[in-house]
Amino acid sequence: MIRLILQRLGAAGVTLIIICIMVFAAVEVMPGDACTAFLGRDAKGTILEKCQLERGLDRPALERFGEWAGGMIQGDLGMSMNRNKPIEDIVGWRLRNTVILAATATLFGVPIALLLGVIAGLRRDRPVDLILSSIAIFSMTIPEFVSATFLILIFSITLGWTSGVVTASYNAPALDLVASTALPTAALSLILIAHILRMVRSSVIDVMESDFVLMARLKGVPFRQIVWRHVLPNSLLPTINVIGLTIAWLLGGMVVVETVFNYPGLGRLAVDAVSDRDLPLIQTIAIILGSVYILTNLAADLVSLLLNPKLRTYRT
Amino acid sequence: MISRQLFFAVSFAAIAAIASPAASQAESVLYRDYDLGDGASPSLDPISPNRFYQANDLIYSRLIRQDENGEPSPELATGWTANEAATEWTLALQEGVLFHDGSTFDAADVKYSFERINDPALESPVASVLSMIDHVEVVDDLTAKIVLTSPHAGLVVLLMDYRVRMIPEGSGDTIGENANGTGPFKMDTYDPEGRTILVANEAYWEGRPKLDRIELIAIPDTEARIQALLAGQLDTTSVSRDQVLLFDGSEDFVLQNYPTGDWFGIIFRTDTPPFDDPRVRKAVRVAVDRNAMIKLMVGEGNGTITCDHPVMSNDPYWAEIDCSQNIEEAKRLLAEAGYPDGIEFDLYTSDLEPGMVRYAEVYQQQVAAAGITANVKIAPSDGYWEDIWMVEPVSMTSWSQRVADQILNEAYRSTSSWNESYFANSKFDEYLDLARSSLDFDESKAYYGKAQELLFEEGGSFIAFFENGVRAVSRHVTGLPAVPEDYIRWHLVAKDAE
Repeated sequence: MIRLILQRLGAAGVTLIIICIMVFAAVEVMPGDACTAFLGRDAKGTILEKCQLERGLDRPALERFGEWAGGMIQGDLGMSMNRNKPIEDIVGWRLRNTVILAATATLFGVPIALLLGVIAGLRRDRPVDLILSSIAIFSMTIPEFVSATFLILIFSITLGWTSGVVTASYNAPALDLVASTALPTAALSLILIAHILRMVRSSVIDVMESDFVLMARLKGVPFRQIVWRHVLPNSLLPTINVIGLTIAWLLGGMVVVETVFNYPGLGRLAVDAVSDRDLPLIQTIAIILGSVYILTNLAADLVSLLLNPKLRTYRT
Repeated sequence: MISRQLFFAVSFAAIAAIASPAASQAESVLYRDYDLGDGASPSLDPISPNRFYQANDLIYSRLIRQDENGEPSPELATGWTANEAATEWTLALQEGVLFHDGSTFDAADVKYSFERINDPALESPVASVLSMIDHVEVVDDLTAKIVLTSPHAGLVVLLMDYRVRMIPEGSGDTIGENANGTGPFKMDTYDPEGRTILVANEAYWEGRPKLDRIELIAIPDTEARIQALLAGQLDTTSVSRDQVLLFDGSEDFVLQNYPTGDWFGIIFRTDTPPFDDPRVRKAVRVAVDRNAMIKLMVGEGNGTITCDHPVMSNDPYWAEIDCSQNIEEAKRLLAEAGYPDGIEFDLYTSDLEPGMVRYAEVYQQQVAAAGITANVKIAPSDGYWEDIWMVEPVSMTSWSQRVADQILNEAYRSTSSWNESYFANSKFDEYLDLARSSLDFDESKAYYGKAQELLFEEGGSFIAFFENGVRAVSRHVTGLPAVPEDYIRWHLVAKDAE
C-alpha cells in the first residue's frame, strides 16, 4: 500500500509539472503581457519598454520559465507583477478564505446529502424520493451564477435576511467572513448536495436489492436493523469517492461563486490574476488548485482502501 | 412572574440593539465601489498613470474646478489674470488652507505641484496637457505666477483636469503611499482590494464634510456591484445600458442620466491608402445616420450627436456643424477619388468596453448603402492598444471627456504621440496655436471652431455621438447632482438615517 501511495504521489508530481508548463504556455500565447494589461493605452514606446525591463519581460520566455521554476523548487514563489508584493502574502489570505468557504460548504452539505440520499433510496419511487430526486436534478443543471443570483435576489434583496455580496476585506477575521458566507455556502452546497445525494440514493437502492439484504429480510431481521447494520455501511463506501471528487469539483465552482458573491478567495484572485496577466501569480494558483485536486482524489482512494478489506491486498 | 417579564424585556432590548446597529451609531457613512480598474495597488499620487482616482478626488484639491455647468470656478485659486500676450498667468490663492498633516498650503506648493507634472523622469501622462508651462514663480505666499513657453489663453480650462491636484512641496517621493492633500476627506485605511476608508477632514477650508466617512469597497465584477447596490451594501455605482431596466420604477434608487464627453470612434489612418485621400475619409463618415446610431446604440435621449470632432456640446468652444446622412455625397466623393464601385476595408474592434463591438457592427450596416464594405474584425481585448490601435489602417478607439484644447491637441496635433489618425495638417496646428494665443474669447472660439470644421471636412476619425453617463444613487443620499464624477463637490454630499 505504501508503494501505491508513493506511486500516486510521483504521478501527482508529474501532473503538476505538466500543469505548470501548460499554464505558462497558454499565458505566453495570448496577446499582450502584464505590462500592456497594466498600462492600457499608455503601453507604447519608452514607458512600455521600461515596464517590461522592470518586470523582466524583455527576456525570452524559456529563460523566464527556468528562473521561475528554479525559485519554485527552492520554495520561492516570486513577486507578483502587478501588486508589488511577494506571492505568498497575496495567496496566503485568499487560500485561507477559500478553505473557510469550502469547509463550511462541506460540513454543511455532506451530512445533509447523506441523510437525504439514504431517505430517497429507502423510499424509492415514493413521493419523498420523487421530490428529492427532481430537486437534485434541477439544482445540478442550473449553473452556479444563476442559482447564486437567485439566492441574492430572494434572500438579500427581497427578504433582506442576509447581506448580498461579501464586502469584507480579504484579511478580515475568519469569523467576520463566516458571518457573511451564508449565501455563497448555500450556492455551493446546493450542487454538492445534489451530486452526493444521487450517488447515495442509487447505492442504497443497489444494496437494498442485494441477496444478503433479501436473506436478512427473510430471516425476519427488523427493518431498522437491516438499514443500520447492513445497508448503510455497504452503501456509503462507494460514495466516499464521489465526495472526494465533488470536493475537488468545488474548487472549480469556487471561481464562479466567489466572483458572483465578490468573495475574496482564490477563485476571484485567479480571475483577477488572469486579466492582469500576472504570470507568477497564475502559476501559483494553478499549482495550489492542482495539488488540492490530486490530494483529495488520493485521500478518497486511500479511505476507501482502508474501509474495504478486499482492496487492501491490491497490487498495481 | 416579574423576573420572567424582566427577562423578556432584557432579551427584547438586546435583540433590538443587535438588529439595528444604526440606532446605536449615528455615523453617516457613504459606501461606494472600487472596480479595481486601476489595479490592485493603485497610486495615491494624483499624476500617476494608475492613480486611485476615486480616493484621489476626495483627498486632493485643484486650483480651479468645474461648476455644475462645466464652467471654471474657483477652488484653491480665488482669482486669475493673464498678461496681454497670454504667456503669464497670475493666480491668487485661498487663505488659511491646511494640508491633512497640518501644514499650510501656499504658492510654493503650487510651484512644486506644477513643475513636478512636467518632470521628464516621472513620465506622467498629465505632462501632455500642461507641457506649455515653463516654470512657476512664487510672487508671495498667496500669489503664484505661471510662466508659459507659448501663449495660452485657455489655461484655466486645462487646470480643471481631474489630475491637476495640489500636493505639499517636496512630497513627490512619498505621496504615492502617504496621501497628503487639502481635500474634504483624509486617507484612513488604504486597502484597494478590500475596504479603503476615508474620514472627514475636520479642518476642510469649505467647512466640515457632511459625511463622517466614505468607504470604497473592492468589487471587480459588474453584476456583483449591481447586486451589492440592490442589497443596500453600496449607496451609489455607475450603471451600464443593459442594467438600466433593473431600476425602472424603483423607489429606493434614483437613476441619474448626465451628458458626458465620453466617446467611441473609428480611426482611419490618414497616412494609409485609400484613406490618404480626404475625399475617401469624408465619404466613410457622411454615409452614416448619426441619429439612428444613437437610437440603436444607447437609445434616444442617451447621447449627443457630434460631427467627427471630439468637443462636447456643453464645452464653451464647441462648434455647430451639420452632419446629417448623405449617401449620394458619399458615393460622389468615392467616385471622384477613383472608387466608383465603392471600397472595402477591415474594421478592427474589440470587446474592451461594453458597446465597442456593437458600434462597429452598426457602422457596418449604416455605410453599406453607399457601397462601403466594412469587414468587422474582433481582436482580443488583451494587447489591443499595443497591437491594433494606431497599427491597423482602420480601428476603433475610446476616449473619456476632455476639454476642447486638450483633446484637439492630444489626439490630432501632428506632433502628439496619441495622434491616432496620423493627422498631419499644418493649418489645423496653426488654428490651435492661434486659438491659444488670443485672449479674446470670441476670436479664440472662432479658431477652435475652424479646427473642428477641418476635422469634419478632412479628418480621419469618425465620431457619431457622446454617450451619457448613468449612475444609480440611493434615495438616502443628497447633494450628489447628476454631473460627471469630477464635478461632484464631495463635502456637500450627505446621507440621511435609514
